[in-house]
Amino acid sequence: MFSEKIRKTAAQCRHYAMCKIDYLDTGICSSGKENHFVSHFPQGRMDIYDALAKDLIPITQGLVEIVNSCDLCAVCDTQCHFVTGMRPVQVMKALKEHVQDFISSGKKPVNVESDEILENLRMIVGSRWAENDPAILVAYANDPFPLAELRMPGYVALPGSRDEVSELVRFAGSRKIPYVVRGNGGSVFGFVFSDGLVIDMNRMKKIEIDTENWTALVEPGVTSFELQREAVKYGLRANTAEPAATVCGNIVCTGLFSTWAATYGVNSDSFVDMEFVDHEGEIFRLNEPDAPNSFCYQNRLSTAPGICTLAHVRLHPTTNDEEGLIVPFSGFEEAVDFAAEMNKRRIGLALGILGGHYLSTFMSPSADLADKVRSCLGDTLGIKYALFMIGDRFDREAVSSLREPLIDQELFRMFMLGLPGMADTEWIELISGMDGDNPPFETILRPEMRPLLDAVLNPSPETAARAVDEDLRDFYTELYSRPEMTDMVWLNMFRIISARMSRKKHMFAFLIYVPLNRMDVIKEICAELKRIADAQGIENDFGFLTPIDLGKRAILEYDYYIDHQDPEEKEKIRRALTEFDPYLDKISASTKGVKLLKYIFSQGCARKEAFLYI
Amino acid sequence: MLQNQNRPKTFLVTGATGFLGSHITANLLSAGHRVIVLARSKNGQTAKNRVLQLMNWFGLKKSECTELTVLEGDLVHPGLNLEPGSLQLLAGQVEETVHCASDTSFSARRRKQVEQTNVQGLINLFKILERSSTRKFHLISTAYVAGSNKGLCREDFVHPAGFNNVYEETKLLGEHIAAEKCARSNVVLLIYRPSIVYGDSTTGRTLLFNALYYPIKTLRFFQKLYLKDILENRGNKAEAMGVSLLEDGTLHLPVRINGTGSSWVNLIPVDHFVKAFMAIGEEKKAEGVFHIVNPENTEIHQLLKYITQYFHLSGVRIAGKDTFDKKPKNALELLFENYIRVYSSYMRDTRVFEHAKTSRFLAGKNIRCPDFTYDVFSTCMRYAEEVDWGRR
Repeated sequence: MFSEKIRKTAAQCRHYAMCKIDYLDTGICSSGKENHFVSHFPQGRMDIYDALAKDLIPITQGLVEIVNSCDLCAVCDTQCHFVTGMRPVQVMKALKEHVQDFISSGKKPVNVESDEILENLRMIVGSRWAENDPAILVAYANDPFPLAELRMPGYVALPGSRDEVSELVRFAGSRKIPYVVRGNGGSVFGFVFSDGLVIDMNRMKKIEIDTENWTALVEPGVTSFELQREAVKYGLRANTAEPAATVCGNIVCTGLFSTWAATYGVNSDSFVDMEFVDHEGEIFRLNEPDAPNSFCYQNRLSTAPGICTLAHVRLHPTTNDEEGLIVPFSGFEEAVDFAAEMNKRRIGLALGILGGHYLSTFMSPSADLADKVRSCLGDTLGIKYALFMIGDRFDREAVSSLREPLIDQELFRMFMLGLPGMADTEWIELISGMDGDNPPFETILRPEMRPLLDAVLNPSPETAARAVDEDLRDFYTELYSRPEMTDMVWLNMFRIISARMSRKKHMFAFLIYVPLNRMDVIKEICAELKRIADAQGIENDFGFLTPIDLGKRAILEYDYYIDHQDPEEKEKIRRALTEFDPYLDKISASTKGVKLLKYIFSQGCARKEAFLYI
Repeated sequence: MLQNQNRPKTFLVTGATGFLGSHITANLLSAGHRVIVLARSKNGQTAKNRVLQLMNWFGLKKSECTELTVLEGDLVHPGLNLEPGSLQLLAGQVEETVHCASDTSFSARRRKQVEQTNVQGLINLFKILERSSTRKFHLISTAYVAGSNKGLCREDFVHPAGFNNVYEETKLLGEHIAAEKCARSNVVLLIYRPSIVYGDSTTGRTLLFNALYYPIKTLRFFQKLYLKDILENRGNKAEAMGVSLLEDGTLHLPVRINGTGSSWVNLIPVDHFVKAFMAIGEEKKAEGVFHIVNPENTEIHQLLKYITQYFHLSGVRIAGKDTFDKKPKNALELLFENYIRVYSSYMRDTRVFEHAKTSRFLAGKNIRCPDFTYDVFSTCMRYAEEVDWGRR
C-alpha cells in the first residue's frame, strides 16, 4: 500500500540536488556518497517511491540494494527542509517498509538481466558504474520541468576519468546509442533526457587549486559549493552558480552568472581553459589553436562542443574587510538606477536587486514565515526592492555616503535571527499606523532604532528556530548559532539560501540579458511577462537584476511559480508558452542588448561581448 | 439608537464598512429607514457579509436588516462596477445619499490612491446619481479642510492657503465638487465636518483604533515590550533604553514628545457624531456646512496626564526643541516623532472651529458633546484593552 500523502511529497522533489552536497555540515547520505548514482541519494529515492506508487517500475534487485543502503539517518530531512520545507525521511521510511513488506510476503524482486551493451559499458567504466536496472534509471527519467514527460533511459554510466568519457562516447557513437550528460545527475530544465545512455559525471570530483595563478582545475562532477569550499581554504573565491549545480555543467550550459558577475563577469570571463571530449570521442582544449571556436557566438539554438571533462577556472582574491549591505528601495526604477550607478563607478564586488519574494524567501526558514515577512517588508515597511551588495569597507563607505538608511551586516543578522518577531501582529500594526510621507523603513532602519529593534525582534538562534516544526528547533538553533548562517558574504558565496526560491512551488525562470540604460525595455519585459502569467492565473514575480560590464548590461530574472505535479498548472504554463515564447524571441531579435538565455544555452563558453553587443 | 421622526426614506450609504459609515448605516436602519449600501468584498469576504458582520457588532440581527441592501461595487471605477440591475435600483429608489467613503491616509506617497477615492470616487458617484431620484446629499467631510488656516475656522466653505496633507486637500476638493454638482442638479447638500472622532463616550466601544488611539497604542506596545523584558529576560534591553520598573509598578519610559503643552486636540465621541448627524440630517431646512466639533478642546498635557495615570507610566513628557538639541532622540522618541510629524497639525492644534450654526441646531434637540474627562478616557481605554485594540 502506498500513502498518497507520502507519494505527493515524493513527487514534489525539486531535483535541486541539495541532498548531494554537505552544505549544512551535517554530512550527506552515506549511500549516495558511496554509490554515486542519483537513485542512491534521497532525491532518487523520492522519484523511485513516486514511480513505484504509479506502478511504473517493479521492485528489482537494484531497488532492494538501494533500500538496504539507507540507514534512515535522517540527514536528508534537515537538508531538504532547509531549502524546500519538505521532510523526505518519511518517504525513505515508507519506501523501506514497502520493499520489506514485499520481501516478507515471500515475493522475489526482479533480477534485471544484463545485456551486451551494458557489458560493454561496464568494460569501460567498471562493473559497478553502469546500470540498466529500472529502479536506478528512473532517477534519470524525471524532471520537475512542467512540460517534460517521463522518459526512461536504457542505461546510465558513471565514468571516473576523461578517458572513460572518451571511450563511452566512441562506444555510443559506434552503436548509434543516443546519449545525454548530467553533471550532477539532476536536471530541472527538461532538456536532458535520452532513451539511450545517460552519462552521469558524479564520480569525477577532483579539484586542484593553483595558488600562484589563483585558478582551479575542476572535474565535471564538482559542484559550485564544493569548489567554493575548497577555494575559501586558500583565501580565494569562485564565481559560482547554484550550490548543487556543477561548475563545468554551468559554464558549458549557460555560462556562469551570479551577483558576483557585476565584478567577475560572465561566460568566458569565468575560465582560463576548458577540456572537452567531442562527439567523436576526441579530446581537445579550447585554447588549442585548432580547437573549435567556442568563444564565438551564434544567435541560434546550438549544441555544446562536447562533454566538458575539465575546467580551468579563475578564482578571485578576497579581503578581510568584506561585508554585505542591503539598500532598500520603495520603487523599481530608483533601485535599478542606483545599481547601474554602483556598477559604473566600480562600487561593490557583488551586486543584485532582489524583489520582495526573493528577499523574504531567502531569509525565512519556513514558507509561512516568508509570506508574513514579505508582507511586512513590502506592505508595512515599504521595502519593495533591495539592492544587495558585497563590498569592502571602501565600497560600503561609498554607498553610505550616497544613500541611507541601509541594512548592514549587524542589522541583517538581527533580522535573520529575529525574523519571527518581524511578523508579529502588534509590531506590524504599529508600523502600519505610521502614515508618513516617506516609507516607514526610512525610520525603522535608522541606526538609532536598533535598541528598539533588538527588543522587538529579540534576535537569537532560538528565536529564529521558532519558525520551524518543533522537532527541528534544536537543529535550527544549533545551525543558526553558526556565524556563517547569518553572514551575507558567506551566504552569497555559497548561495545555500537562494536555493529556497522554489520552496513554495517549482520555479520557471526567465533569464534575459538587458541593456541597463533602457529602463523602458526592462519594465516592458517585466510587465509583459506579468500580464501573460496573470492572464493564465500563474503566480509570478520579479526575481533579480544584476548589473554587469560596468553598468552597460544586466541579467534580469523574472519567475513563474507553478506546481509541476498539477495538470491544470501544466496546462496554464503550456498556454502561457504560446505567448511568452514569441514575445521574448521578438524582443530579443529587435532590441539591442536584449538576449534571451535560451539562445546562449550550450554556448556558455562564448565571450560575453559576442552576444551582449549585437 | 435614534428613532425616526419622519417617514421612512431610502438612503444610499457609501463607506458603510468604515468607522462613521457603519455607525450611520446602523442608525438609519434602527430608525426604520431603508438603506442601500455600496461596499467592496475584502479578504475573501463578500461585501454583504462584511456589512452584516458590522451590523451584528451594532447589535442588529440579520432579521433587523431586512431593509438593508448591499450592492457590491467600487467607487473608484466609472459606473462603480455595478450590475445594470443595481444601477436601476439606485436610479429609481434612492432619495438621499450619505457619502462616507473616504481614504483617510495623510501620506504623500499615497496621494494617487487618496485622490482616486476622495475625488474620483465622488465624481463617479455623482455621475450615477445624476440619473437617480436623490434629492439630498450628505457629505461626511472633516473639520480639517481648514488646512493651514490659523485661528478661527469658519463653518462655511473655505479656501485655505495650503494644506497639511493630501487628505485635507482632497476632502476640501470633494466639498467643492459636491457643491457644484448639487447646485447644478438642484440637490440639497449637507456637509458634516467632524473633528477627531473617538469611541463611544458611555461604553468606549469603537471599531477603529487609529487617530487618538494610535499614539496610546504605541506607548502601550513599548510598555508591554519592556515589561516582558524586565520580568522575563533580566531587563537588559529595557536598561539599554533607560526603561525601568518602579517599586509601585509604574514603568518609567523615557519618551520626550516634541511640542508645547499649550496646544490641544479637538475630540468628539462617535455617539455624539451620530446623534448630531441624525439630528441635522432630519432637519428639513438644514443645508450647508456643519462643524461637529467639541466646544471644549483637550490640551495635550491633559491628555498625557490621562495616559500616564491610566497605564501607570512615568517619563513620558512634552519637551521643547532645545531639549532634543542637547540630547538626541532615542528609538522610542524617533517613532513618536515620525507619528507626530504626520499628525502635528492635529496634535499641536491651535485652531478653533466655529460651531455656532451646528450648536444652534443641536441645542434645539438637546444634544451636547460630552466632555473628554478622565472617566470617558478610562472607559475608552478599558474597552480598547478588552478587545486588545481591535484584535479580538
